[in-house]
Amino acid sequence: MNHLYKKGVYLFLCVFWSAISFAQVNPTIKSTLNGTVLDQSTNQPLPGAVVRIKGTTHSVSADSEGKFSFRTGQSFPYILLVSYLGYEQKELTVNGSPVTIRLQETQNQLNDVVVTGYSTQERKYIAGSISSIKGSTVQNQPGGGFNQLLQGKTTGVQITTNNGVPGAGITFRVRGNNSINASVDPLYIIDGVFVNNSDPITAGLGQQAASNPLADLNPSDIEDIQILKDANATAIYGSLGANGVIIVTTKRGTRNTKANINLNTFQGWATAVEKFKVASGPEVALLTNESRINTARDNGQNPSTVVLPFPDPASQPTYDRISGLFRTARSQNYELSTQGGTDKSTYYISLGYLNQESIVKPSEYTRYSGRLNYDNYLTDKLKIGTSINFTRSERKLSGSDNNPTGVINSALFPRSYLPIYNADGTYARYGSFDNHLALIENLDNNAVGWRTIGNIFGEYNIIPGLKLRSSWSIDNTSEYDNSYSSTLISAGIATNGSASSSENKYQVLTNEQVLSFVKTLGADKKHNINALVGNTINTVLNQSTTATGTGFAANSLRSVSVAATRSGSAQRSETKLLSFFSKASYTYDGKYTIDGSIRADGSSKFGTNKRWGYFPSGGVAWRLSQEDFIKDLNFFNELKLRASLGLSGNQNGIGAYAAQGLWSSGANYLEQPGIEPTQLINPDLTWETTRQFNVGTDFSIFKNRLSITADYYNKYTYDLLLNVPVPYRSGFASYLQNYGAVRNKGFELGINSTNIESDAFQWTTNFNISFNKNKIEKLASDISLGASGRNISILRQGYSVNSFQLYKQLYVDPQTGNAVYDDLNGDGIITSADRQIVGNALPKYTGGLTNNFNYKGFDLSFFFYFQQGNKIMNMNDFFMVHGGTQANIGFLPRQLERWQNPGDVTDIPRLTTYSGNPTQNGGAANNYGGTVASLSSRYLEDGSFIRLKALTLGYALPKDVLSRIGVSKLRIYVQGTNLLTFTKYGGLDPEVSSQSNNQNTVGYDWATVPQPKTIQVGANVTF
Amino acid sequence: MNTRYIKNGILIAFILLSASCKKFLEEVPNDALPTESSIVDATTARAAITGAYDRVQSYYARHYPTLGTITTDNVIFNGTLSEYLQLDQNAIPTDNVITVAAYQAIYRTINSANSVIASLPAVGDPLLTTAERNKILGEAYFIRALAYFDLGRGWGGVQLQLVPTSDLGVLKGIKRSTLDQTYDQVLADLVQAEQLLPEDATVRNRAQKSAARALRARLHLYRRQWADAENYASQVISNTKYTLIKPYKSFFTAPFQTAESVLELAYSANDRNTYWNLWYPSSAGGQYTLKPSDALVAKLNNPAVGGTRNTLIAGTGTTVYGVLYNTTATGVDPSYLIRIAELYLIRAEARAQQNKLTEAAADLNAVRARADVPPTTATTQAGLLQAIEDENGIEFAFESHRWFDLVRTERAGAVLGVTNRNYWLFPIPYSDIQSDPDVVQNPGY
Repeated sequence: MNHLYKKGVYLFLCVFWSAISFAQVNPTIKSTLNGTVLDQSTNQPLPGAVVRIKGTTHSVSADSEGKFSFRTGQSFPYILLVSYLGYEQKELTVNGSPVTIRLQETQNQLNDVVVTGYSTQERKYIAGSISSIKGSTVQNQPGGGFNQLLQGKTTGVQITTNNGVPGAGITFRVRGNNSINASVDPLYIIDGVFVNNSDPITAGLGQQAASNPLADLNPSDIEDIQILKDANATAIYGSLGANGVIIVTTKRGTRNTKANINLNTFQGWATAVEKFKVASGPEVALLTNESRINTARDNGQNPSTVVLPFPDPASQPTYDRISGLFRTARSQNYELSTQGGTDKSTYYISLGYLNQESIVKPSEYTRYSGRLNYDNYLTDKLKIGTSINFTRSERKLSGSDNNPTGVINSALFPRSYLPIYNADGTYARYGSFDNHLALIENLDNNAVGWRTIGNIFGEYNIIPGLKLRSSWSIDNTSEYDNSYSSTLISAGIATNGSASSSENKYQVLTNEQVLSFVKTLGADKKHNINALVGNTINTVLNQSTTATGTGFAANSLRSVSVAATRSGSAQRSETKLLSFFSKASYTYDGKYTIDGSIRADGSSKFGTNKRWGYFPSGGVAWRLSQEDFIKDLNFFNELKLRASLGLSGNQNGIGAYAAQGLWSSGANYLEQPGIEPTQLINPDLTWETTRQFNVGTDFSIFKNRLSITADYYNKYTYDLLLNVPVPYRSGFASYLQNYGAVRNKGFELGINSTNIESDAFQWTTNFNISFNKNKIEKLASDISLGASGRNISILRQGYSVNSFQLYKQLYVDPQTGNAVYDDLNGDGIITSADRQIVGNALPKYTGGLTNNFNYKGFDLSFFFYFQQGNKIMNMNDFFMVHGGTQANIGFLPRQLERWQNPGDVTDIPRLTTYSGNPTQNGGAANNYGGTVASLSSRYLEDGSFIRLKALTLGYALPKDVLSRIGVSKLRIYVQGTNLLTFTKYGGLDPEVSSQSNNQNTVGYDWATVPQPKTIQVGANVTF
Repeated sequence: MNTRYIKNGILIAFILLSASCKKFLEEVPNDALPTESSIVDATTARAAITGAYDRVQSYYARHYPTLGTITTDNVIFNGTLSEYLQLDQNAIPTDNVITVAAYQAIYRTINSANSVIASLPAVGDPLLTTAERNKILGEAYFIRALAYFDLGRGWGGVQLQLVPTSDLGVLKGIKRSTLDQTYDQVLADLVQAEQLLPEDATVRNRAQKSAARALRARLHLYRRQWADAENYASQVISNTKYTLIKPYKSFFTAPFQTAESVLELAYSANDRNTYWNLWYPSSAGGQYTLKPSDALVAKLNNPAVGGTRNTLIAGTGTTVYGVLYNTTATGVDPSYLIRIAELYLIRAEARAQQNKLTEAAADLNAVRARADVPPTTATTQAGLLQAIEDENGIEFAFESHRWFDLVRTERAGAVLGVTNRNYWLFPIPYSDIQSDPDVVQNPGY
């Protein structure tokens, strides 16, 4: 054995030496070639491009300015082969020096290398459905999180920005909602780290998700993003992959490249596209009078005896609260990064600062980010590396939505004839509402997050093709929220000031080992094997501590420690996940690929009987373009068919101890500790499982100028982790069990086209569209929820999730002016049984269209996003078209369209607050109150829209100008976002979802900050 | 030999690994007990009955008082939340948030009480004396009685759950009882409670014998068992622990726990009652969802009707608001369950019904005198009953009485205009209709 080892070393040295010697043979220099390698469309240098003389092994790489130089024994002319990752290899004959070589970026994605679960593979051999997006797609855009910027950029994902507050929550779905009570968010993996995607902010902001945790990652650090969609791609992540997997790879240096330094900045100005409009003082007075008279009539009184609240409506003043709400919001971004490598190591270091204001005061988002990616080749076989990201995020928060003391509510809802200030100059407040200016000036609600995402890994090449990788990662989120309500705002008046301070820690630790084997075998290299086996150990720890205090001596004192009354609470939960997995892929002759994977997961969340789940998958791919009968057609440059089937699991979104029978403590009385039963045991609780079938094709034609990817999938999720409602007489509201099923099926189409390709002018188009149909196939009973107990959203077997359940208004009777509803069960009266599903918040399809133009140094691009078929519940209309039933709330102009006289045809019924006979269909009680209580389809609107999300014009300064000032690259640009929107939606913004902290209450517009229109100018400089 | 070592080694490694995997995946919370060790000794038994009180708080802090007031002519809707508008208009859909939350919280209370009643006998802890054991058991019976009484008067005869829900199987086949059967259950529990509970001179925030007797007096009143109602009311009134204290406002002024109180649930800085928030205007930090009606304000401000009970309201002009719950800074307002004034009015009504008019008037006048209101002028039986009804409306303006009184006397149609008698009962929650094959909805919903 020992002997063999010695021999091996000797042999190795021999080979090595001879290789060196060989390189030194033939020292006769016959020619010297100097050249530059540039990107064909941008004329930017391509550092690291490899230049080789055909027929020899002699190659050099281009330096950071794209320059290379050759001294060779060959004499002119000879043929050069120039290659660069992501670019078409170019073959050209040179007949003298110097030479400029322009490479064209690969249009055909099939040649790309794709990061799949735990390995990388060439796209052309992949059987699964994976979207790849370049990092540049999500850079230099306003809006914080990279995930939000993927909207409309690729197929199979549906992304909604819930409101226009920077850094605020978003909704991200890969191929629809798989679940009802368990999580429907995808798994995010950044440089191999499983990252936490739960909102750490504890401050109550109505029902909206306060933050997008992925906004902690600076998009400029991203090299590329892969979205794993089908079972074949995701099953290797087993229990974590059912909702899709987003793999983010950040930038790293390249070996043997000179350092480059990159400066990046933009300045932006955002304004509201449209502002809220409310009825004026005289209009409110008129409507109130009319409601009073009509109500008297309905009560059988003589209208002339009514004492009108506003004898002279026209004399009422109007106070404008809305303009005090909005501002021109500034945003600014500065980034500095450097990237490079020596022969032993590579590095990427970056620093970033972003500050963005919300167009509605006083929200604001600031991010400080830093990153270090470093790799070192200790030996030829052993590489170690690290990726570390530090972020500090600061948010100024402001609640609105269902909170009557929120900023928008306090400006929008009060009646407009009421003054903003009292006669003595203090803030005036009415009914349930606070004063919006008091809030804007005095809200003090800050959330500061520290996020560290990092890993250390080692890679050891045991023998060529066989590699062991071990990685240790941490994602540490530490959120420190402080809020103080002074006596100048309603929330602090009663208590003489109240403060809360909370620290919320969320820690994900992951260790993984992967042994992978990649080998091409056979005499003619026809057998290609890619296999791996590995394990992960994952723990998630969540801890929080909160202190609250009330009663402060002065408004300037804000520390909980000096409050008159103080209390505290703490919470902790920990979950663990243990996994073993294996995957193998075999390709024959570059034509046929078959692969399979299996993963076993054990989770601490589940019942003792069924803790472990097993998730297999398999796929096949056939590259027809390699077959002679296709080649003979001379039409396809690439043609691939693929199909896959597999299972993946889900355990996210349920409590850490969800399977255990529990009595909660803290049910205290008289300062004595108390306990009470809160959860029934379920020892059989186990994995929610998604079975997905996917069939797709990738092909390109016209010399790869047009490439198309199409996929059809059918996902069936069963054994849902469902909070099955149980009779309340049990003492419980629901019982978590594996019950129910949801199906998502859909079709995706992506088209990339190079329309014009010349040296001076290029035009490319990307179009994508995704259809998804969601259906609940099995459910124990209806579950209705949403809108603070109004139960507008419903989950019902046979319908899709996010359906709206309302009384369907058929018409307003032109004779009586009363609303007539659909009497669903035909019993002649209106009861809760007459509510029906009248629409859905999920779009039928979403997509994007991007066009890029390049002319010499100029670049122009525009990007449209569209979605169609979703409904929005306009809660602002719900509250403010109230017919007089809300004594403290003003009206929206839509109320003026009410029925007034016999013969009027409108959908807004006659004003009245009459409440007699609440079940009568077509009776006055149900216009705004009664059984219907305004839960009417008249407030449900079509939310489809097409929006010009981004329009960018840039100019890269010519090289000769730059070289004089020592700059290698300089691009300046101007960009506009949300410049145009085409929609029928009557609210401010169709891109809205204000009840977003629950996945089953989507599509509400409720005092929400709209998406702003932004103009920004920016510059990128590389030294 | 070699292979055997390897085989054994792998086997041992596998066993060790799977054992440690199993252990690795065991996680327990640090803020909850496993069900099987919930009531096992003196400490947990005490904690469980404390938890049952906490559950009573969960429906008496705001839901139940709201159900008894905004549904009547005393209180109107003045906020934004439509569930309160629905109650104000007496047009209550089956998923009205307040009725659903109250119904759910009451049954949670019952499950807690059932757990104590079922588990306590098996607890062998010597630290648990017989006296304490009886006290805890008596409190559990009282709490269950109160909960079923509150269900019965709100929703009619309900499903009687008398064992703790260990699994969903125990629910099967239990149909709705009649109102009489529900009240019979209440009576049976009150008999047990009265027997087991202690009585001392000070405790007012936990159930004692007098609280059981007082609730029994109210039960008999609801069942029109006048002699029993009179008898049990008298037993409480004759206890010197209780008096009608003056001025009226002292019972709802901190530090509370006055001699007025037969049973009130206490709150503290760590266990706040924020019900004031629904009554106070936003300029005082509240939501102002519940507002005293103009008619009530007029009555309270009339010295001959309201007397010193005008201290129940504050503010002027259009911003008059109720201040029964008033500790806005600290949130320590009690939930008022039974006050001695109620026992006087129960006895007054029971006596009037038995035609003991002089004694009835005396009881009524005791309550009026405390509020500095002149004695009643009513002399006939009908007149006295009307006067007692009116007095109840003023005396308990913001407590959970008037709606239930008008329903029990079948006067809700005449006084409140709710002529459809179906609406005199709240609807069974929509989700129970969906999930429970054994339940039947109240008629008209």
